[in-house]
Amino acid sequence: MNDSDPYNSTVRAFFVNPDHAGDLQGDYAEMLQAEASESDLGARVVLFAGIVDGNIAEMRFRAWGCPHLIAAAELLCENREKGPVSGLSTMDTGMLMQQLSVPVEKSGRMFLLEDALKLLWAQYSAAKQT
Amino acid sequence: MNAEPVYLDYAATTPVDPRVAEAMQACLTKDGFFANPASVHVKGRQSGLIVEQARTRLARLLGTRPECLIWTSGATESNNLAIQGAARARAHRGRHLITMPTEHKAVADTFKALEKQGYEVSWLRPAADGLLPVDKLGSAIRDDTQLVSVMHVNNETGVIQDVRAIGSLCRERGVLFHTDAAQSVGKLDVDLAEQPVDLLSLTAHKFYGPQGIGALYIREGLGGGISPLMYGGGQEKRLRPGTLPVHLAAGAGMAAAIALREMSANAQHLQAMRDRLWAGISDLPGLMRNGSAEATFAGILNVSAEGVEGESLMLGLEPVCVASGSACNATSGESSHVLRALGRSDRLAQSAVRFSFGFATTTGEIDLAIQRYRWAVNHLRAISPGSAAAS
Repeated sequence: MNDSDPYNSTVRAFFVNPDHAGDLQGDYAEMLQAEASESDLGARVVLFAGIVDGNIAEMRFRAWGCPHLIAAAELLCENREKGPVSGLSTMDTGMLMQQLSVPVEKSGRMFLLEDALKLLWAQYSAAKQT
Repeated sequence: MNAEPVYLDYAATTPVDPRVAEAMQACLTKDGFFANPASVHVKGRQSGLIVEQARTRLARLLGTRPECLIWTSGATESNNLAIQGAARARAHRGRHLITMPTEHKAVADTFKALEKQGYEVSWLRPAADGLLPVDKLGSAIRDDTQLVSVMHVNNETGVIQDVRAIGSLCRERGVLFHTDAAQSVGKLDVDLAEQPVDLLSLTAHKFYGPQGIGALYIREGLGGGISPLMYGGGQEKRLRPGTLPVHLAAGAGMAAAIALREMSANAQHLQAMRDRLWAGISDLPGLMRNGSAEATFAGILNVSAEGVEGESLMLGLEPVCVASGSACNATSGESSHVLRALGRSDRLAQSAVRFSFGFATTTGEIDLAIQRYRWAVNHLRAISPGSAAAS
């Protein structure tokens, strides 16, 4: 019987085991942190990144929000970690929503995650300019 | 989620007692009491007897006379009929009404609809424990007040209002008193011979009867009566027309008879279950019980937790089925209007979980709920930005 489960298996797995939840474990020369929140949406997300030689050595998150937001933050960190720092500059929100079967009504929460990522990139870019 | 669901949402609805199902089954097929109870032929008269027997059983549970009960489709319809019906029948005397913001939406939204029709409604806020200070009601009643509606047991917090004191005051001041007793009938002693209540709403599916049937109690000799909401046949004293569902009435009657016999034993069981659950989680930091700890129905435990989000908490609790303090609505994330009226912040209201218990609840189910709740709260706090460390 189909009970119209609002969460797909990826969301459920990331919700139970968000390997990237928490603070940065390593000590890095470049450590970034950015936050986005929206009380009307009932969501708050903080992203952390440790940068080494132009690469994201470690990426973590903290989130207060629905299971889709937690799973999206986990997926984002998993995808960006060990990649080039330019990975902080963009996020394909549509693709992420598709992967996690996020209902369209929750787009705002996903954009919040995008906002936090953009802030992280802005921080990195500003640091490079000084 | 493959684990067997554990149902702790009896305040939403209860499973039908097998004895109730048996009584209903006898009314469904050709050899049973399926005929229209308004028909004058022998099959109709047989069905009519079943309906009246059920009404008598329900009346016994309530300590009243069967003539005072009108069958409806449930508490929502009963509330609408009582409130709109009384307000309209008395509109020529005055258009001031009194209720509370902590009422079920079936009551609150009915009053809001009346406001749009030109009635004036005073919304009395409860104290922090959810109880209505009776002196506050006394100050709110005016010469043109026609109706006061205050629920007996709150469906979210389980808080029990002092309907005797409220009803007595209303009677003293010549104002009708209606109570939504959907959560109390069949679970608490509601003796209408002793209670100063003019109108009372109930539904069968909250006490192991079927969904789709309820009743409205109208005190005998109620001055001014109430106006019907629907017109059609002359059933139910012309107040609620439509063919009566015999099987549902039979089920409601059987559920009432069982409740009368077993209420006391069930009440003890509910208290044991609630106390076990609370003892198992109350040491978690940042936990708050919503509503009065004393004047509370034992079948409901409502708890808020700092630093956790409601929808995630619900998922973390699986396979335990409970009610959330939020509308769990992806678009609005709207939190409980009841808890907000008790002064809880939006976040605390949003994190609220209502556990509710029934006669079939086991200690094993409670222990699983304890284990899942502790895990979920600690897990979400560990993930949450800036929250206290998990414990």
